[in-house]
Amino acid sequence: MKHLIIGAALAAALAVPATAQEVTLARFFGACEDAGTDTKTSVGEACIIQSIINAASEQIDGVTVNTLPTDWGNYYDQLKAAYAGGTAPDVHVMHRSSVAEFAGLGALADLTDDLAAAGIDTTDWAPAALDAVSFDGGIYGVPMDFHANLWHVNMDLMAKAGLVQDGKPILPTSPEEMLAQAKMVKDATGQDYLAADFAQFPIGVRLVLALMWQQGANIFSEDGTATINTDAARNAVTAITQLFDAGVANPQLNYADSQQAFLNGEAAMLVNGTWVVDFYTAEAAKEEVGLNNYQVADFPTLFDEGATWADSHMWAIPASLKANDPEKFQAALKVLAFINDHNVDWARTGHMSVRKSVVASEEYANLPHRADYTGTASIARDTPPSERYGAIQDVLNRELQAIWLTGKSVDTALGDAEAEVQDLLDR
Amino acid sequence: MNKQTKPLRHVLGQSQAAALLLLPFMSVYLLFLVYPFFRGVWISLHDWNLLAVAFNPDAKEFVGVSNYIKVMWGKNIIWSPLASPVLQLMGLGGAITSALLHRSGRLGRTTALAIGIGAIVFFILPGFHPGEGGRWYDRRFWPTVGNTLVFVGLTVPGVTLSALVLAVSLNRETRAMSVLRTLFFLSQVLSVTVVTLIWQIMFSPRQGLIANVTELFGGSPIVWLTDERFAMAAIVITTIWWSLGIAMILFLAGLQDISRDLYEAGALDHATGVRAFWYITLPNLKRTITLVIVLQIILHFQVFGQSHLMTNGGPNDTTQVLVRYIYQTGFRDSDLGRASAMAVFLFVIMGAFSVLQFVLGREED
Repeated sequence: MKHLIIGAALAAALAVPATAQEVTLARFFGACEDAGTDTKTSVGEACIIQSIINAASEQIDGVTVNTLPTDWGNYYDQLKAAYAGGTAPDVHVMHRSSVAEFAGLGALADLTDDLAAAGIDTTDWAPAALDAVSFDGGIYGVPMDFHANLWHVNMDLMAKAGLVQDGKPILPTSPEEMLAQAKMVKDATGQDYLAADFAQFPIGVRLVLALMWQQGANIFSEDGTATINTDAARNAVTAITQLFDAGVANPQLNYADSQQAFLNGEAAMLVNGTWVVDFYTAEAAKEEVGLNNYQVADFPTLFDEGATWADSHMWAIPASLKANDPEKFQAALKVLAFINDHNVDWARTGHMSVRKSVVASEEYANLPHRADYTGTASIARDTPPSERYGAIQDVLNRELQAIWLTGKSVDTALGDAEAEVQDLLDR
Repeated sequence: MNKQTKPLRHVLGQSQAAALLLLPFMSVYLLFLVYPFFRGVWISLHDWNLLAVAFNPDAKEFVGVSNYIKVMWGKNIIWSPLASPVLQLMGLGGAITSALLHRSGRLGRTTALAIGIGAIVFFILPGFHPGEGGRWYDRRFWPTVGNTLVFVGLTVPGVTLSALVLAVSLNRETRAMSVLRTLFFLSQVLSVTVVTLIWQIMFSPRQGLIANVTELFGGSPIVWLTDERFAMAAIVITTIWWSLGIAMILFLAGLQDISRDLYEAGALDHATGVRAFWYITLPNLKRTITLVIVLQIILHFQVFGQSHLMTNGGPNDTTQVLVRYIYQTGFRDSDLGRASAMAVFLFVIMGAFSVLQFVLGREED
């Protein structure tokens, strides 16, 4: 692979006068000031991805990468504005869930026939990864990971509550059992059973979605009918609200506060994504952090079938770059190939790799806690594709927050959510 | 000198010279304000997807006022005089009061007319509601307008009162006072991102200053930004802290225009302290107060950053404001036509307040 890249780079260097191509790159994941170029030692999503980008800029001949300043919360708004203004970044990250919208409008370059020449072997991608970047028969990006919701566990609190067996946490198999175990934790430790961001990002939404999928239900069907005001949704919501009512979980914590509560040792469980596994591992090793004995678990099955919310990060190139600037397009492809080659480094975050060769490697298997959540890949789910994915998530987040933060009745909230999602699907 | 200016005078008449001097301003004004405004109105009459039209200019479709209807109207909307009793009675009361005040000669004609019209709008608008089986096409729009009004209604008096109190107490020629004036103005120069970051930390229930103080006195900390009862208050407090400076400077300028003689004459009649403030300072500051209030109203209708960065419009949409909704509709949902229709609505509101200021300012001359 490397030879192929070097060969391609040499060929490119010979073919064009030796002017360095500057590739602009946009990404979320947050800022990392001094990421360096060592892709093996950086910690946390922001620093790991930036170290890979820095290394790409340093190691690819004739290509420098300029990372544009962006903000997590407004990333897609910024990206859309850039596309609409004709100033799209040459390379950018996005979610699988946004492919329908961007590729559907012709914004993304079809890479189907360019990947092999750039040294990207699509047959090494897991089928679900290929599926994630495919749209209407074309390949519109290079997948980087599968990420999903996990349960992050404070084993000391679980042990005090007697909820550890053979070194593994005992997880609930039904909503009733969850409440019973939650009370055991509260009685034994005085701490909350479960923390999550129920007040800011749609992590609470993903929790409810998972519990709906576990009952074989979904929030809307492929033909565009909203199905939110249902018994399955009510069961899912009450499985969570019973924890708030019993005082064993706090709905008012946002992302940072819920994470801090878990790290302080104030909650036995944190529902959050794969992206924080290495960060929490590093934090738990610190003396001053309340969390000492950290483990990870697959999202437990509280109903009939296993399911947890999942998505994919992927890298794409604008269609306009491929059409108008073939040289820079080749440079952008090299950056994508470099990121694809460093998939195992990205997996250090805790994300699941998209490459079969990486998954089979010893380096991957030896990553911290990797063995704790091997079941997640097979229960990964998401809503049907929709151009209004972001708006729909927002409706659900608002109505669910109304339930647990403002005491809106479950029936009214689900009814309002269904009507509004239907409006969005019909628009 | 004379030799040089004379020929120039011959070349350019007075109005021509004026036109020449106005040209730079007018060209920028037309290009960057007037043209985009009419373009916005034009977009609001189309079904216009931000990305689709960017890639294919023909992807838009003329739909007339359909965007306005979808945003502001609904199915089976009816009007009744007591649909929102509190607001409507307030409006009715305001209209009657302004008429009575005009009759008794305490309000000028135009002022009474302006307040009366505003009050009648307050009586009419909240009376619309969906009848049986009816619904608003966009159920978030009017609540969002309501939130924006609440925000403006709390922030403007808050800023005006606190800036007035500060200005009066800092209006002295000592070094300490000028240092304090600078300090109070300092928050104004910060950008909205910095201001909201500072206050997010202040309001944080885990590490915030406010939570620490409440805990010191044995209270349990308020979760300001995610509690329905406090979220709006939190962004109002932040905004007052942030935009105090300009109002304070305007008041200080107004205060320095009041002649010392008035206070000396008042002192002879035992009007000092609070009485001097009430009978001398306030009446003389009337124009400045009107200016500050109208400027603040126009400014705060455009609130965006505080709501977007501190609460994401939540919880349960209680801090969702108009500009944030326009932004979401335009960029997240790519629905530029609909977003423009809302923006035109916002323009009408702010335009009305600008006209009001114009009317009030002329009357006092």
